[in-house]
Amino acid sequence: MSRCDIKVVLLGSEHVGKTSLVLRYVNCRFNADIPYQNTVGAAFCAKTVRAGDKDFNIGIWDTAGSERYEAMTKIYYRGAHAAIICYEPSSVASWNRLRHWLQELRTVEEDCKVYLCGTKKDLLDSGYVSREVSQDIVATYSQGLCGHFLTSSKTGENVDELFQKIADDCAADLKLMKEVEDLRVQLAKDEAAYRVKNNNYCIC
Amino acid sequence: MEDVLDEIVSSEDLQKFEKVFHEQLHRGTVTHKAQFEYAWCLVRSKYPTDIRKGILLLKELFNSHPEGKRDYLFYLAIGNARIKEYNKALHYVKSFLEIEPANQQVLTLERQITKRMEKEGLIGIAHWALLMNALLGVHYLFAKKKQIKED
Ligand SMILES: Nc1nc2c(ncn2[C@@H]2O[C@H](COP(=O)(O)OP(=O)(O)OP(=O)(O)O)[C@@H](O)[C@H]2O)c(=O)[nH]1
Ligand SMILES: [Mg+2]
Repeated sequence: MSRCDIKVVLLGSEHVGKTSLVLRYVNCRFNADIPYQNTVGAAFCAKTVRAGDKDFNIGIWDTAGSERYEAMTKIYYRGAHAAIICYEPSSVASWNRLRHWLQELRTVEEDCKVYLCGTKKDLLDSGYVSREVSQDIVATYSQGLCGHFLTSSKTGENVDELFQKIADDCAADLKLMKEVEDLRVQLAKDEAAYRVKNNNYCIC
Repeated sequence: MEDVLDEIVSSEDLQKFEKVFHEQLHRGTVTHKAQFEYAWCLVRSKYPTDIRKGILLLKELFNSHPEGKRDYLFYLAIGNARIKEYNKALHYVKSFLEIEPANQQVLTLERQITKRMEKEGLIGIAHWALLMNALLGVHYLFAKKKQIKED
């Protein structure tokens, strides 16, 4: 029985690259040959990360961006310590939806740390697409939030940095750390109780 | 472990989607969306009867609404895995992979299901071993007794 210390949720319109970001972070991989497959509902991944000389298990819920799942995916915002809201700098539509995602998130989880993530940086750098969302707007908008990152899941650029920042911010959050500690203690108790119960069962 | 097979729906959520579904049922037409959302809650319930009900609703959707096929297959696999109908679950996984062979999410689900089968298989063997031990023990005692008598 293991549980996650830090819960991170990913939000953003469909096709912006949420799943690719998680897979790059967790598996250090990007596969351009696999055709786009929109996530069904929500997917879960976990990874251990070191922050402030402690190890944390972060659980990542990668929600589907398609409107079809919206009522369902909202459920995964609950209890999130951090949220990454993704958009594509080349798509104004994905940026315009950002406000909507943020509002949705806030109605469920008021205190959640929010990070903005502009995706597919490699496409911008190579000139394959052009930037449609101005850097000024992004800068203004991210002021009230915990950070903004421009990432590429293809090259891996800034991906670890984004998740490391989240882990560091969480490790520096005393209230959250107390929660994590309490949860670990509770879990150890539960596990001990479980073991006792199981032993009894075997002897019988 | 927190993953898609263990995750449990809260009763408020279940009730919320149940209410929508029943209201529509009452009015005479249920949308695919309402039925899917309710079924999705049911297969994530901790009660097997709910899960079975969810599976029925998903099967109905699967037959009546081809556009949502992959959604229904995915949650049919999850629902069946949760009531330990692993072979059925794998059957739905396979049907999904026939449409999208490289789907990471479904390949992960497949791994989780086979891992569970193995784990539970092993638990089965462990119990079996225990039983054998007990039988051998009894046998040993009998043998001993016999030996004592013969002595
Ligand atoms: N070049 C490049 N392509 C990317 C990058 N990230 C994602 N893509 C591609 O963009 C498409 C969509 O990526 P996904 O990660 O599946 O998008 P998503 O946000 O998870 O989509 P939903 O699950 O529908 O919400 C895929 O074809 C990816 O290969 C990136 O950093 N660079
Ligand atoms: Mg996705």
